[in-house]
Amino acid sequence: MGCTFLEKTGESVPDASWPENGDQWSDKGEEEDDECELLQEMAEEDEEIDLYNEETFGLDEATSGDNPAADPMDLLLLCSDNSPTPQSSPPPPPISPSPHSSHSPSRPGSRVWPHTPTGRPQRGRAGRGQLFDDPAVVKTVEGRPSLKSLDSAIVDCSLSSYWEDLNSNTWMMAPQKSSRPPVASILQDQAIVGVIDRSRHGRVPPVSPNFLSPMRPFSTSRGRRGPPFVGSFNQRCHYQNPMVPCSPFRPQRLFSPQQQYNQPGGFLSPSRPPLSTPMPHTPKLMHLQFGTDSPRPAPFYSPSTNIMQGFRAPGPVAQFHPQHKRLLSQRQQRPHRKPVSWDPYSQIMTDKEKEWIIRLQMIQLQSKNPHLDDYYYQEYYQRIEAKLAEEEILGDRLKKEPPKLTTPYVTKALSYIPVVHIEGSLGQVAVSTCFSPRRAIDAVHANTSDEEHRDTRRQRLEVLSTIEKLYIVLLEVEEANKMKATVSDKDEERRLMQNIKRKVDQLYNELRCTNLLDSGEEFISCLLISKGKSMLARLLPFLSPDASLHILSVVTKNLPVLMSKDTDEALPVLYPSLRAVIDRLAFSQLIRNLKEFTATLPDSKDTRLTLACQNKFGLSLLYALLSQGERLLSSDLPMEPSIGDFETWTDTVFHVARQLSQTTLVEPLLLPSNLLTLFCRYLDKRTVHQLKNNMESATGYLAVAS
Amino acid sequence: MNYMPGTASLIEDIDKKHLVLLRDGRTLIGILRSIDQFANLVLHQTVERIHVGKKFGDIPRGIFVVRGENVVLLGEVDLDKEYDQILQRVSIEEILEEQRTEQQAKQESERLKLQAVKERGLSIPKADTLDDF
Repeated sequence: MGCTFLEKTGESVPDASWPENGDQWSDKGEEEDDECELLQEMAEEDEEIDLYNEETFGLDEATSGDNPAADPMDLLLLCSDNSPTPQSSPPPPPISPSPHSSHSPSRPGSRVWPHTPTGRPQRGRAGRGQLFDDPAVVKTVEGRPSLKSLDSAIVDCSLSSYWEDLNSNTWMMAPQKSSRPPVASILQDQAIVGVIDRSRHGRVPPVSPNFLSPMRPFSTSRGRRGPPFVGSFNQRCHYQNPMVPCSPFRPQRLFSPQQQYNQPGGFLSPSRPPLSTPMPHTPKLMHLQFGTDSPRPAPFYSPSTNIMQGFRAPGPVAQFHPQHKRLLSQRQQRPHRKPVSWDPYSQIMTDKEKEWIIRLQMIQLQSKNPHLDDYYYQEYYQRIEAKLAEEEILGDRLKKEPPKLTTPYVTKALSYIPVVHIEGSLGQVAVSTCFSPRRAIDAVHANTSDEEHRDTRRQRLEVLSTIEKLYIVLLEVEEANKMKATVSDKDEERRLMQNIKRKVDQLYNELRCTNLLDSGEEFISCLLISKGKSMLARLLPFLSPDASLHILSVVTKNLPVLMSKDTDEALPVLYPSLRAVIDRLAFSQLIRNLKEFTATLPDSKDTRLTLACQNKFGLSLLYALLSQGERLLSSDLPMEPSIGDFETWTDTVFHVARQLSQTTLVEPLLLPSNLLTLFCRYLDKRTVHQLKNNMESATGYLAVAS
Repeated sequence: MNYMPGTASLIEDIDKKHLVLLRDGRTLIGILRSIDQFANLVLHQTVERIHVGKKFGDIPRGIFVVRGENVVLLGEVDLDKEYDQILQRVSIEEILEEQRTEQQAKQESERLKLQAVKERGLSIPKADTLDDF
């Protein structure tokens, strides 16, 4: 609450005290105080704060009518105002406590915010004496009934019974114990009066009942009404009955999420009556609600409604996950729970408040794409589920579901178009929303012509930028692929597949066109860049068989270039994807690829083969191809070889074998196990043995002939 | 088995007896009555329990409103297990006395440590001059 210190000059301030007729306050004084502008501003600020408080804590209509912004502050403003309103300068009742009186000796004209006593003196630091300054301690310690010991926690006579019960097992049952009227009366007689006197002199905080401590001026709205505190307290003590602890100060309903039910499409809409304030039990106690003549009938809003409303548009319409809906409805259906009989305080936090909190937390978790927004949790959960599923299969038949975080279920929102184009108009109509504040102009990117850039480096950079832009598309493809597995709707699936296909084609075509000017070969320029290699590796699984074959042949054909320019040693990243492609090759396709290896290169004497032996990737590729051939041959599947395939095959094998046995080999990425079998079939033992040694020396482990 | 996000998971703990450990080292035991989205807590019939060694003492405190950020941890108290403990309950004076002695002993050792460190020309910054987090 804004201002803590207000300097008032020249005002005659009556002895400050809580007026007994607090509900008759008016804040006319405020309005007429136009001498000090600062005060005016502060007052306005107060009004706003009060309004907020009103919304939060709720005042009854009776009072809100006259005092829209009544506030404990008003006491200060009021007492300083010029206008003579007899009501506003209340005569100090003899026994009404006053927080301001703690400073009454110190002023005229200056008003200091009442000093809130700190509840906790230093403990254990000073001597024994200070130990017992802690009023709570003091009270508990027998035989020290000093008034100083009267802590707010203790004075409450109704709870005095519970101190005694502390050592017993009936901790929870304490309030139910019979009250001690004699104790009460004692307190009432001596303590309270004494304390009040003391507090007037500012030594001890005013007495207040335990529950809400309304004496603290800014703790509750109740306090501002300046109730006849002790009077009521006295009365309360009189009305001591076992059930009293539960009701009179039944706490205010701070948040009533009633308004939220109006939100479109979203929340459950129970039509609860706005008033579900727990009423005090007995009519006698009704007037004990501080400062109000009647219980609060007004429905109150929660400050959260403003927050909630902000979420309405434009954004996804929040719906609750069906599971959560069930949860909440279950909660609702649990019929208005009778307060658990043994615990009279059990309904302090109402269901509405609980739901409010749940909603608040849920809103923060709304997301159209949880796999994107909450990637780590989703991945984690999927892995746990997968592991459990495995375990289930293996034998652990217990179907234990891992605990899952309940999240809101958000339906897809229609995308909105931030820029509206009216037919026939020149230009675009600017539609600003909170997501796109200004989209009046669509800047057109000027395309520079290609001829200007002959610089290779610049070309590379261009290619790199293309690749990077395409990465987003690739990520979308992978994302859609993942979603495809989880989505159940057939249309959705089809749409996703179309989406994927379209993007994959786009990627393929764009990458294909990235060729350096001097080479006519497709894909090369992107293959020369490491990012491009990894991108192609990720794209390969999505491509059609023809397309992937094409890439394989491109790679094979340009192997020397790739190998020589592979400074980062990024080629191996292509290996797994290419291996997958190779494994699906038919025999004739395989032969065609293999032929490339043995053919001599146009500009040198070497074959790709010789060069490949020196390169990890090249060698691995070769091995993969041979392995596939062997697999095809040794399997019983019918092959459809073209004419001359077998001859080429045998030739190639001989050629390769000869080469491999002669040159020192590097360690391949993967050494297929059926290679030696292959060689055994075609070659003599000696050669095979030589080959074996050669290969082994490269890898460092034995190539087992299966 | 499913749990609610954030503070909403505390909702099922309402009206149950809890032990709350605060950042300043205090231990409060009270019935959790109300929460909000910041995990501010309202504890009812709260008792501050001071532990020194194997002894403990309770100071009844009434209602506590604890600001959420000051809570280190909280947990439900098993009412069945609560009363068969190895710990021995003593009176308040005793426990406060024990605490004071413990505090003094600690301060003394700290002082000696500091002195020793100073003699060697080093300096250890005090925790309150550093950032907590």
